[in-house]
Formats: sequence, structure tokens, C-alpha cells
Amino acid sequence: MASNAAVPFWRAAGMTYITYSNICANLVRNCLKEPHKTEAINREKVHFSISKWEGGKPQRPSLFDLIHLKHELGWRIAL
Amino acid sequence: MAMAALRREGRRFANPLLSPRPITAVRPSLFSEEDGSMGVRNISTQVVRNRMKSVKNIQKITKAMKMVAASKLRAIQVRAENSRGLWQPFTALLGDTPSSASGHALQALFDGSLIFKSKLVAPCVDVKKNVIVTISSDKGLCGGINSTSVKTSKALHKLVSGPDKETKYVILGEKAKAILIRDSKQDIEISITELQKNPLNYTQVSQSYALIGGRVPILTKFVPKLTVSVLADDILKNVEFDALRIIFNKFQSVVSFLPTMATVLSPEVVERESEAGGQIGDLDAYEIEGGETKGEILQNLAEFQFSCVMFNAVLENACSEQGARMSAMDSSSRNAGEMLDRLTLTYNRTRQASITTELIEIISGASALEG
Repeated sequence: MASNAAVPFWRAAGMTYITYSNICANLVRNCLKEPHKTEAINREKVHFSISKWEGGKPQRPSLFDLIHLKHELGWRIAL
Repeated sequence: MAMAALRREGRRFANPLLSPRPITAVRPSLFSEEDGSMGVRNISTQVVRNRMKSVKNIQKITKAMKMVAASKLRAIQVRAENSRGLWQPFTALLGDTPSSASGHALQALFDGSLIFKSKLVAPCVDVKKNVIVTISSDKGLCGGINSTSVKTSKALHKLVSGPDKETKYVILGEKAKAILIRDSKQDIEISITELQKNPLNYTQVSQSYALIGGRVPILTKFVPKLTVSVLADDILKNVEFDALRIIFNKFQSVVSFLPTMATVLSPEVVERESEAGGQIGDLDAYEIEGGETKGEILQNLAEFQFSCVMFNAVLENACSEQGARMSAMDSSSRNAGEMLDRLTLTYNRTRQASITTELIEIISGASALEG
């Protein structure tokens, strides 16, 4: 149960449980063999656009896909 | 594709099609420009023929959209039904807490049409910071499901807001955004769209959670102690919440959708409530493994609960959307069919009338020659 000891660390890195478990899930997907690997990765595509609102005005929407998110959270350490 | 085509068609023919007047009332104006001028005797059937063609095209499009919605519905319905198993354990453990004493008021407000996900009599939880997550669709032509969820959200907003309370909207989907922007744009915190470009999946939905509210507890608990990451700015900007109220249309059947509210409390509130006893007090009966404290467990649990509830809610709403679109398209192709029948009748009558007129003219001319 190495994950128990890891909790404070990923919390400190600014991750939530969800982000952490998604990273883990992504790792597992990457461990699959080829035909299944692409299939699994394609199934879990992330795409949405999000815009924050300030003072009743939407800010510029930003597109989110997995690559952006990885970049933002520094996932490269984990991957 | 089909929808864009329909929009194009609709714009071109919007006037006659959408006019509330029955077709017979339009008829005189159709022919007035044709006959009378230039001494033309025969009534032109061109206008009616054109309209018949356009109505037929629209009917084809709505029929195609119905088929598409039906096939999409089947795929989503299975997933939505499977995803119900995700939130049920959480409801059993943490309860689903309708907001304070007002739960009944809200129910009364909707005449029993609003159901709460859980039948448990949950403890009264009155919190300061409410975030209402309104789930809607990106595309229209799907009946009233979007306006239902917006109406429910607005009522809830009215209900939970008070003097020292803060209520914010987080909006999923273009349609709710378009409605809420009119009168509550000051309260909108985040809007998320284009969620359905790829088939919905858990990763996607749970990622949106991380953006909605998940980072706040980190701010309060850990960031002061440890290195502030690049995210710190981002964190400060994000929504803080004590309770998330997720409003969506629960899929019941192709023709019935229930506006539903699901509540997710922040870990702090859950902890407070569990100290106070009541439904959540049962939590003490469970053993906690490992070296983590109850607070940490609850935080993880609350985050996971929200992502599960969201996943289910988004799927249910997508399912309702397709169902609503199916029935809406069904009725519009039926309407187009009825309209086509009426137009055909008009067309035939006019044609027959002109033939009869010609016959009468010929016969009377012939008899005039004889006589």
C-alpha cells in the first residue's frame, strides 16, 4: 500500500483525489498491449471548453483536453 | 449536419411554417398576388407546390433527426443505467441532503415534480456557500428539458440564497447558459461547453470536477504548509463551496424526465455533520484502514462522490436530451405530415376548380355558338 504514504505528496502538488486517480488510470491504460491500448486511450478522450466568469462577463474560453491538463498539472512526472 | 440543414430550411420557410395561423387562413394571401393581376384566369398552383416541397423536405429532416436521436439514445441509455450503480453506495453512506428546512418548500414549489435523489430523511444542512451545477445540452430542438433544469436551478437559487449567503452557478451546456445569461449573469461562476463532442466518459466528467471545486480544500489545508505550486493562482480563482447542488433531468422513459437535485457536501461540512450525529453519524460505524485521518478519507470520498454523481447526472441528462429530441422530432414530423395533407387538399381543390372553370367556359362558348 504505497499509495497511503503518497497522499500528502499529491495533495501538496495541487492534485485532487480525482486527478490522482485519473493519472493512475492513465498509467494502467498505457500498460496495455497494443490493440487494446489505443482503444482504451481513445475511449477516454477528454474534450470540453471552459470559461470563467467575472463580473457577469465570460472570460476567454479555454479548451481542455488531456494534453493541456497534463501540461498544467505537471503530469509528466507521473507519465 | 441534419440540424444545420434544418436551421437553413427553417429560416427560409420559417414564416409560413411557424405562423400560428392555420393553413387555410394563409391561403387567400397566397393567391391574391397571382390572380387579379394581368388578367390571368387560372389560379397558379406554383406557390402551393413550392410549399409542399419545402414541408416535405422539413419532414424528411425531422424524420432523420428522430432516427439519429433514437440510435444515440439506445447507446447512452445503457451507460446511464449502468452509471446509477456508482452513486448509490454514496447515498447509502453519506445520504443525500436536501437543503435545510426548505426541502419541502422546494418540493411544494414544483408541485412534487422535483424529486430528490434519496428518500433518506437527511439531516438539515444549511450552508453558506452553495454552488448550483446546472446541467443542460449544447444543442437545441429537444423539447423543454433545458428550460426545466434552468427553472429548477432558479428556484433553488431563490431558496438557498439569504443575507449572508453566497450562491453561484456553474453551467454545463450552451442552452442553460443562454437562458441564465439574461437575468443571473452576475452569479455565473464557470460555464463548460462542448462536453459531448466525444462520447461521454468518466475521465472527462471527473476532470471537470477538478476545475469546478476540487482544489479548494487543498488551499485551506495544505498549500500554506508546503510549496505553493504554479497552480496557486488558479486555485484562488476557483469556486469555493460548502455544498454543490447538481440539477439535471433524470431519465425515466423516452417521454418522461424528472428534474432532480443531487447534493454533494464539502468534506468539512460532512465532518461537521457527522460530529453532530444524524444520518451521516453512521460513518463512525465504519473502520478506517491505514494511517489516514477521517478528514483525509472524507475529503477523498467527497471528491470521488462528486465525480460519480456528476458522471451519472451528465449521462442521465444526455439520455433525457436524446429522448426529448426523439419525441420532439416525432411530433414535428407528424405536424409536417398533417400540414402536407392540408396543402395537398388545397392544391387538388384549386386544380379541380380551374379545370371546372375551363370546362364551363368551353361548354358555354360552344352552346352560345349553337344557339
